[in-house]
Amino acid sequence: MSDAVLTRDAAEAGDAARRRGSLGLKLQQQAGILGALALFIVLYLFYQANHPRGFTGQILIQNANEAFALALIAMAQTVPVLMAGLDLSVGAVMTLSGCIASHLVNGTPSEIALGIATCIGVSASCGFINGCVVVYGRIQPIIATLATSAIYMGFALILRPTPGGKVHEDLSWALTNDVREFALTFGLFENGEAAWLQPFAWVPVPLVLLGLIVVLIWVPFTRTVTGRTVYAIGSSEGAAYMSGLPINRAKLAAFTMAGLFAGLGGLFLALQTSSGNADIPQAGAYTLNSIAAVVIGGTSLLGGTGSAIGSVIGALVLRTISFNFRIFDIAPLLQPLFEGLVLLAAVSLGGLKLLRLKNKLEVFR
Amino acid sequence: MTRATRLSALAFAGFLLSSVSAFAGPKIVSGPGPDPNCFKPWSAQTKYMQWDKKPGPYRIAVVNGFVGNTWRIQMLQTAKAYAEQSGVKEKIKEFKVVSTGTDVAAQLGAIEDFINQGFDAIITIAVAPDGFDRVIRLADRNNVVIVPFDNVLDTDKVMQVNEDQLEIGRLSARHLLKELGQKRDGKILEVRGLPGNSVDRDRHLGFREVMEKEGKFQIVEVVGNWDDGTAQKATADAIAVHGKFDGVFTQGGSTGSVRAMMDAKHPFVPMAGEGENGFRKLIAQHASAGLKGFSYSQSPGLVSISMKAAISALEGNPMPQLISVPIPAVDYTTLKDNVNYWSNLSDNFFAANEFPACGVNVTAPEIMAKDAKNTQ
Repeated sequence: MSDAVLTRDAAEAGDAARRRGSLGLKLQQQAGILGALALFIVLYLFYQANHPRGFTGQILIQNANEAFALALIAMAQTVPVLMAGLDLSVGAVMTLSGCIASHLVNGTPSEIALGIATCIGVSASCGFINGCVVVYGRIQPIIATLATSAIYMGFALILRPTPGGKVHEDLSWALTNDVREFALTFGLFENGEAAWLQPFAWVPVPLVLLGLIVVLIWVPFTRTVTGRTVYAIGSSEGAAYMSGLPINRAKLAAFTMAGLFAGLGGLFLALQTSSGNADIPQAGAYTLNSIAAVVIGGTSLLGGTGSAIGSVIGALVLRTISFNFRIFDIAPLLQPLFEGLVLLAAVSLGGLKLLRLKNKLEVFR
Repeated sequence: MTRATRLSALAFAGFLLSSVSAFAGPKIVSGPGPDPNCFKPWSAQTKYMQWDKKPGPYRIAVVNGFVGNTWRIQMLQTAKAYAEQSGVKEKIKEFKVVSTGTDVAAQLGAIEDFINQGFDAIITIAVAPDGFDRVIRLADRNNVVIVPFDNVLDTDKVMQVNEDQLEIGRLSARHLLKELGQKRDGKILEVRGLPGNSVDRDRHLGFREVMEKEGKFQIVEVVGNWDDGTAQKATADAIAVHGKFDGVFTQGGSTGSVRAMMDAKHPFVPMAGEGENGFRKLIAQHASAGLKGFSYSQSPGLVSISMKAAISALEGNPMPQLISVPIPAVDYTTLKDNVNYWSNLSDNFFAANEFPACGVNVTAPEIMAKDAKNTQ
């Protein structure tokens, strides 16, 4: 009897989804991201509207600079989380990449290019090593990356026992400003005065870079078999294996992607601060915040659903909460409490869909 | 890889025509400045900076990094209490305090935000000694005074406030030598602070410089992280291994170090340590039994000196680029209850908060009393 009811329920739900059409279904699938996006827009507009120089390019640049590294670390964290694993080494890989950058990203253009390539190569390799430990060592990701994070942090400390170093000054200035300043610094596009450039001239360079990374790396990755397999592993590793999907390859790729994104974040942090700093508490803070950003962005810690784009929005939400502390007079010792409350509310948004369940069994699906 | 080649092409183009905007900001002038006893230049080579005079009252922000230990909390309370004092209150139009955590990007963002909001001065404890070039450039363009203190920056482009940590190490060593009398050998325990931190390094170097010149001591080093619990454990371990020490220098978590000695039935010996109220209470109690203590303090009250210096700079006075604040220190002969320690208050705050040379006096009970009110 109850079986029959269940199947009828399920059939009705399926019909309903089909009736609403693909747009409705898509929206439903992206509910996590949309919720985070709405929260971000509300918080950010609130901040901008109350800022004495709200809605100006300067504020946008400053905010983009502040959010970029965290956004990339959040993207990095997303990939292992999609497979229901956690990567505790993203902060360490970011730090290592930054420390390498503070040694190498300087000098002639070819030296700079080589330096950037080294940063990216080393951080992707760090990710790959994580993947190898998980796949061939058969160790839980959370433990494997806890161990490797200490190793990467150790290398970073060897490279930068005390903070310092130098990165190319113009490159640092250009990448932390808007497109016009970027063009002006490098004498491109008629020093940034070209007519076609004007509609985009106010856009902060970090936002452009973030967009490029999403479009050129993340989106193509999710369209490959390897990328789809990452999702499949998170949903059900057994089923993915039985379907003949390349499990090992996907795991290695996922951790390598995490390393790559974390490395890009570290590279930017080094450019932003024109120095390297093997700061252990900072690496830890970034790792923790990356997990928070992933969850706010609608990616399930159980794996299988979510997107790095959601995590970017999650990172923006995290940053925007503290932006507001600078505008409103909140007692300094109460600020962590407020941050926690907003975070809790943001994470709870993901749980709202439970209220709409008709049948408790759906929770376990 | 494609990103790398793209960047390299851009970078190459940049070399043909690079332009970075010119600096505005403070003028380098010759001293002396006002209040030389308080705003003491670090050395004879310290240059003086002068900003354009601005009409008051001013908007001042404090951008703290890490929050979550007693020192930082007391520092934030002191900042608020100082901003409320008469004579200061009239000069401040708006006062904001944020803590950004140990994240350099967030701290840079907060400083930049306050510059964009049009604040006149920004007081900060830098989370890293490097990486602030961009905000310094922006501050100079907008005629904003940035004052890093406590953890200062490796730059001479901003006005900074600190105590001389090398001197703190030297003073501690001289105290131990004085109390040891003619004895110039034996075992000394050195409980160090947070590894990798410049404050820890400088205190250590200052201490060693004097100790190694004056005698043939065997100095045992342990790491106490400036934390009572860690220092207590490290001291207990050191006593278990080495038996007896003739003197102890503990950089912080001093109360913990003394408690470890008492627990191990280690006889009281000459000690030098931080300015925690608990440490000073113990010295006062056990000085006659041999705990001949010396207590210096990297005071949380440094924030008020930094605020005072920022206001002075905004008023157009020439200021030393690096200000060496007089080190507040007492020893077992100069301790006085309810003056430089409080036997009826808790162990966990820093007793030295007054700077007579600067006319700055936010006493500890004043802050402790404000505790409840300030968090509302």
